[in-house]
Amino acid sequence: MKNEPWLAERTFHHSQFWDIKRLVEQKERQGLTISLCLPALNEEQTIGQEIVILKAELADRYPLLDEIAVIDSGSTDRTREIAASFGAEVYLAAEHLREEGEQRGKGENLWKALFLLKGDILVFVDADIRNIHPRFVYGLVGPLIDDPDVHYVKAFYDRPLAFSGGLRPTGGGRVTEILIRPLFSLFYPELTAILQPLSGEYAGRRSILEQIPFPVGYGVETGMIMDIYERLGLYAFAQTDLDRRIHRNQETIALGRMAFGVLRTFMARLQRRGVVEFHDPLPCLMRQFEVGEDAYRQIAYTIEEVERRPMIEVDAYRQKFHPE
Amino acid sequence: MSAIAENAVELSRLPEALKPMRERLLANLVMIAQIPAPSGEEEHRVRFLLDRFAEAGLADAAADEVGNAVGRWHGRDGKRTILLASHLDTIYPANFDHNVTVESDRVIGPGTGDNALGAAIVSMMPFVLEHLGIQLQSDLILLGSINSLGRGNHAGLRFFLEHLPGRVDVGICVEGLQLGRLNYFSIGTARGDVTCDVRPEPSRSYGSESALVVINHIINRILGIATPSRPYTIIRLGRLRAGVAYDVEPDHAELGLEIVSHSDEMIDEIHQRIRDIVAEMSARHAVNAHEDLFFRTRAGGIPFSHRLVKCILGIMQSLGIEPDQGHSPSELSEFIARGIPAVTLGISRGERSRMKGTDYVLIEPILTGVAQLVGAILAIDRGACDEE
Repeated sequence: MKNEPWLAERTFHHSQFWDIKRLVEQKERQGLTISLCLPALNEEQTIGQEIVILKAELADRYPLLDEIAVIDSGSTDRTREIAASFGAEVYLAAEHLREEGEQRGKGENLWKALFLLKGDILVFVDADIRNIHPRFVYGLVGPLIDDPDVHYVKAFYDRPLAFSGGLRPTGGGRVTEILIRPLFSLFYPELTAILQPLSGEYAGRRSILEQIPFPVGYGVETGMIMDIYERLGLYAFAQTDLDRRIHRNQETIALGRMAFGVLRTFMARLQRRGVVEFHDPLPCLMRQFEVGEDAYRQIAYTIEEVERRPMIEVDAYRQKFHPE
Repeated sequence: MSAIAENAVELSRLPEALKPMRERLLANLVMIAQIPAPSGEEEHRVRFLLDRFAEAGLADAAADEVGNAVGRWHGRDGKRTILLASHLDTIYPANFDHNVTVESDRVIGPGTGDNALGAAIVSMMPFVLEHLGIQLQSDLILLGSINSLGRGNHAGLRFFLEHLPGRVDVGICVEGLQLGRLNYFSIGTARGDVTCDVRPEPSRSYGSESALVVINHIINRILGIATPSRPYTIIRLGRLRAGVAYDVEPDHAELGLEIVSHSDEMIDEIHQRIRDIVAEMSARHAVNAHEDLFFRTRAGGIPFSHRLVKCILGIMQSLGIEPDQGHSPSELSEFIARGIPAVTLGISRGERSRMKGTDYVLIEPILTGVAQLVGAILAIDRGACDEE
């Protein structure tokens, strides 16, 4: 299997990049700029801690990050106020690129980050991490700084540990193990070596991120991986073990909706490649059921998985980043 | 910035000058607070401090024989040695949720004020001084002490002071809370447990009864001890543990108590009376009752007229800090017991809930608290606190 050498060569542990001073020197030598984007929606419990620690360690102490920004989907709590009070740039996603129309979702924030932030490398870190540590950033940008052939780095957390029975499963998360890995095994066997394709932390070069469409909702991580793979192949990827990540645990019912969105994104790409053909458009309604006092109740969620076109096709973006 | 602490105007500008350090100070506070450190298990916090000391380029940064984190910043002439100490242990067990939340005005989490903030400031002091462009004449020793609380009885600091080659001229205990705290004398304190165990059934003599009832007799006798109002003396009965069920008489009971007095002799006298009571009750009720005094601080300190006190009061006034003078149950007593002039200073305001609610520290006062500490170090460094 071709992905086994990749797994050995392109799988890192964050401790390999502990020397932040060296990373800063390398970054400066290459003339790179790095932006950190924290997509957020109602994260007042964790956002302050993330910004304080990442700014203190990776901007104030070692200038690895040139910019730290929160791109907010419209929080109704104090997320934006807290983020601004600790020196992050704060953007309300809906207020920018209005001419493109309004969408809401994490993918929308990431897509707009390409327009709003200036870095050659963009690092995306979810805003709900309770045990934030600088490794969540330097572990992801390290491979990009060290190797120009790496274009996109994905985090994983549950490292295979030796135990009495050998290696234990990597524990990629419920949606990964039940949905994504089986789908990749069927259609993209090489990509199965990406241990946690749905992890919320990754870093990529602007040069590739601007070329790909962004699903605005649940499918953004899956879509990114498939689209980068189509363009650059497996060796454009690397992955870094960031050890433990503590965050809110999602209920299975919520993961069901996530799986629906991811599946729609996946199917749309298979259809685009001509691998599958649907006679009718796939439905957008995800139906789930609740037990009431004396009856079962159906709840239908509309999950469209709208996709944003590649940012490079947006005029305002081209004028800002590619004026020639 | 060397003019700082020379006059009040320069000193009052210090909090503003420290603003670029704010996030780094907060980040250290958060990271330290998230490391569990019950007494005797502080090794991860020690590692954290030592990493900071090493990054700051401190020549001697290592754990000492008992595990304290120690770093020494060499001054130009090293004629004086200033010791900045903060205890690293907390009352929270390792399995407690140590996660911290940062809001715009406060940092919330267990042990943030006692004493993650103190430890964070000690860990960052080399960077603070470097940022301000300060080079000291004196040597500055930074100490994160272990085993301070409860039965630890200041073991880390005691070991350090007893085994440090050379002397310490002035000590500053850094506590997270409360800003304005100025402790320069220590009231004598003795803490201990009285335990009572009912003997196994076959060996019980006539009269042996529930451990709880015997402890109750002991409590009644202790309450009968007359304590003088001068010198101020009290006996505090703080903890009582016994029993597992409604229908089972307990075999074991524990009483935690504290004797506090301005007079060490009075503490010794009361302690002896409690020992006698316990011994008598043990015999009278045919149980195994013992007292174990595990924590002792000596009464004493420096007088209000000491130049160190006057100097720090002046610094507080320049920074608009309202001083709160009083005795301290902190590690200050270890300095006092060795005749070393010392004070305890607090860094910010906040709440220490002792596991009943939520601990927090306010962010805004922290830079003023650090400025006060820098002012104190500079004043000591230039000899302004030396007694004639």
